[in-house]
Amino acid sequence: MLPKGLEKQLNILDFSLSSLWRRKLKNLSIMLVFALVIFLLGSFQMLTGALTNSADAVLKNTADITIQKMSAGRQEAIPLAYIEKLHSIYGIRAIIPRVWGYYFDESNLANFTIMALDSDSMPDGNKLDLTLAHGHFPKKTETDTVVIGRSVHNILGLGERRIFSLFRPDLSLKSFNMVGLFAQQTDLLTNDLIVMNLSDARDLFNIPPSMATDLCVYVANPSEIETIAKKIAGLLPDTRVLTKKQIQKTYQVVFSWRSGFASICLLTALVAFAILAWDKASGLSPEEKREIGILKILGWETGDILAIRFWESTLVSALAFIIGCTAAYFHVAFFDASLLKPVMVGWSVIHPPFKLLPSVNLADLLLIFTFSVLPYLGATVIPAWRCSTVPPDSVIR
Amino acid sequence: MRPSHLLFIFLLLLTFIDATLYLHAKRMANDLKTDQALQTIAVAGLGLTDLCVATEARYTRHPAVSDPMAPFMDHPGAIEHFPTGSFWNAPTNTETR
Repeated sequence: MLPKGLEKQLNILDFSLSSLWRRKLKNLSIMLVFALVIFLLGSFQMLTGALTNSADAVLKNTADITIQKMSAGRQEAIPLAYIEKLHSIYGIRAIIPRVWGYYFDESNLANFTIMALDSDSMPDGNKLDLTLAHGHFPKKTETDTVVIGRSVHNILGLGERRIFSLFRPDLSLKSFNMVGLFAQQTDLLTNDLIVMNLSDARDLFNIPPSMATDLCVYVANPSEIETIAKKIAGLLPDTRVLTKKQIQKTYQVVFSWRSGFASICLLTALVAFAILAWDKASGLSPEEKREIGILKILGWETGDILAIRFWESTLVSALAFIIGCTAAYFHVAFFDASLLKPVMVGWSVIHPPFKLLPSVNLADLLLIFTFSVLPYLGATVIPAWRCSTVPPDSVIR
Repeated sequence: MRPSHLLFIFLLLLTFIDATLYLHAKRMANDLKTDQALQTIAVAGLGLTDLCVATEARYTRHPAVSDPMAPFMDHPGAIEHFPTGSFWNAPTNTETR
């Protein structure tokens, strides 16, 4: 036997469900649009959260300090002589020059990232072979050899072949022998990479042996990174000094609610829905007004009528919220966020597979709930209250 | 059957689906730990700074080592024209030059 109060609410719930079912086309279409808006907001939040979480998890081992030379507001090659200047700073464990840049493959319109450094001097450099599906990393003495990412392999159409050529700036060809292929598990980082020896990269980009693209600095005591970065900036005033902390912070910022186009689209959808909800709710149809009038004549109290409206709105919005969030999870986890991916990668020819764990946390769900469900509840219950306080005879006449 | 009973059945179905998704997330998190161990080695061994998500422009391929001015550097008065540039927020490297 149910308590009397609960039995009453169950009866009101039954009445609300029957009322919703009477206008099923209208209510289902509203729920569908509502779920779609929540799906878009949820997908965006789950995808960007997943990328941010992945970046947080894997970028903690990046170089302590990265030094880039700036000239006229642009980054340019840094002289290796700068390394000598930095030896006066106590606490620096290692300084490793890197040559890296972009190679635009005109036949496929793809941008590859070329990376070259002495990997033996890097932390975990001896474990790099573990990141390969097959092959090995080029040794210092192995010239004209490369390790490539999976998308580079596919775009160049190598198949079983191992030899391919890239153009130097003077359009002469330089041949490379592929000695390793990155594993699928590292696609999120290495999909467009071509890793080679320093001398090969200098030859390919026509960079003099006395120059590098940037310098990776490793510090003995991690708590001194900021202090040493300031000392470097003072010693080399024409450089930009990036610390590990700044690099890690990047991905907490780049995909935020303020990220331009996305937020405009999503907020526009939300505002459009708010207008739809307001339009639906603020003007109760004469039929709905008459229904309220008849219920009052039959002895229903204002509180009961409000309870019906509350249940109706709660059912429509809460079900739309659950369905929208569930669909968003499916979209990101099982369909590679295929609706948002084209916007995320733009004109990129290389499409990395997004094997990401959708980020679902209470704060995001509450934010979406507050932006969507609560305004809808307010927009439907308030007009019902205004109508139910009007004398019933004036409504049904 | 009362309409509210049908609703409870539907809610139970949704709860079951979401519980399955929760278990899926737990399992996927375990799988990704192995992947992330390899990714961490790649980051440490190659000094990588960024995720390979968008490769069309250098400032969206490597936002961590680009500055907010990069999209407008092609010529005076240049406008930013890559689609990803309008989707990604500029990093706030306020302490750098």
